[in-house]
Amino acid sequence: MSMSTSSGPGGLSSDMNVTPFIDILLVLLIIFMIIVPTTPKGLDALVPQPPKNPQESKPNPLTVVLQIANGANGIPSYKINNEDVATNDLRNKLNAIYSIRAEKVLFIQGDPNLTFAPVAHAFDIAHAVGVDHIGVITPKMQQGQ
Amino acid sequence: MAIVVRNEGKKVTSDINVTPMVDVMLVLLIIFMVITPMLDQKVNVTLAQTDSAVAMQDASKQDAVTVAVTRDNKVYLGQDQTTLANLGTAVATKIQNKTDKTVYFRADARSHYGTVEDAIDAVRTAGVEQIAFLTDNRESNQPPSGVAGNQ
Repeated sequence: MSMSTSSGPGGLSSDMNVTPFIDILLVLLIIFMIIVPTTPKGLDALVPQPPKNPQESKPNPLTVVLQIANGANGIPSYKINNEDVATNDLRNKLNAIYSIRAEKVLFIQGDPNLTFAPVAHAFDIAHAVGVDHIGVITPKMQQGQ
Repeated sequence: MAIVVRNEGKKVTSDINVTPMVDVMLVLLIIFMVITPMLDQKVNVTLAQTDSAVAMQDASKQDAVTVAVTRDNKVYLGQDQTTLANLGTAVATKIQNKTDKTVYFRADARSHYGTVEDAIDAVRTAGVEQIAFLTDNRESNQPPSGVAGNQ
């Protein structure tokens, strides 16, 4: 049952030439290696629009606001609903709040003097604990503009 | 002055074999066709490092509205530098015929958050409710300051 690769008298080889096939596969591999890592990744957020008639809007007692203040030496400090939260404890606190809630809404209000990195970190943690609606509060929004 | 004709047999062809060259050219053509759409829409920013970012296929589309804030707090709409005053109207004209009104922010991790907030305000006046901060997935196992061992 052995395949005999007997060469003909003229030196003919019956093996398939796989070199072009491998060439094409390598090129496809390289192309897909280039494509895959460039899929952008991101954290979605909502921008609350001002209410049409502000007099009718009532404050929601369940609203959670995460404030990020610019502390000493550029180290951000966090507050949840005006209560100080240690930076290491932020994830646990948010997890404790949102693990028992159906309405996973959080507002993040960052100090304008911060850099973007600590704010992105706060968004990151909020997404990690399962908050699916994160609103950005800007200073102008607070002034009701 | 006699022309020397070498006797090499009858089956010798003097044509250059162009098939490998054409192969290489076609491969280069394909590679550049793939790469070229990715090269534009990129303002050079160092994105923030996050762990829970999700893939956003729409952000790489040609008609995605992308606002970039660089380290020196310049604001770009797409590839063009703009000002915060013009950003709102420019975004409004870009999204008026789109169904997906998401605006993607590529903010440098070291950029001034006040500038980012101003850009968000400008975009908000254009009627945008849904935004997304594009970030990079953290690859090193070095957590940022204040995050205790999530790796």
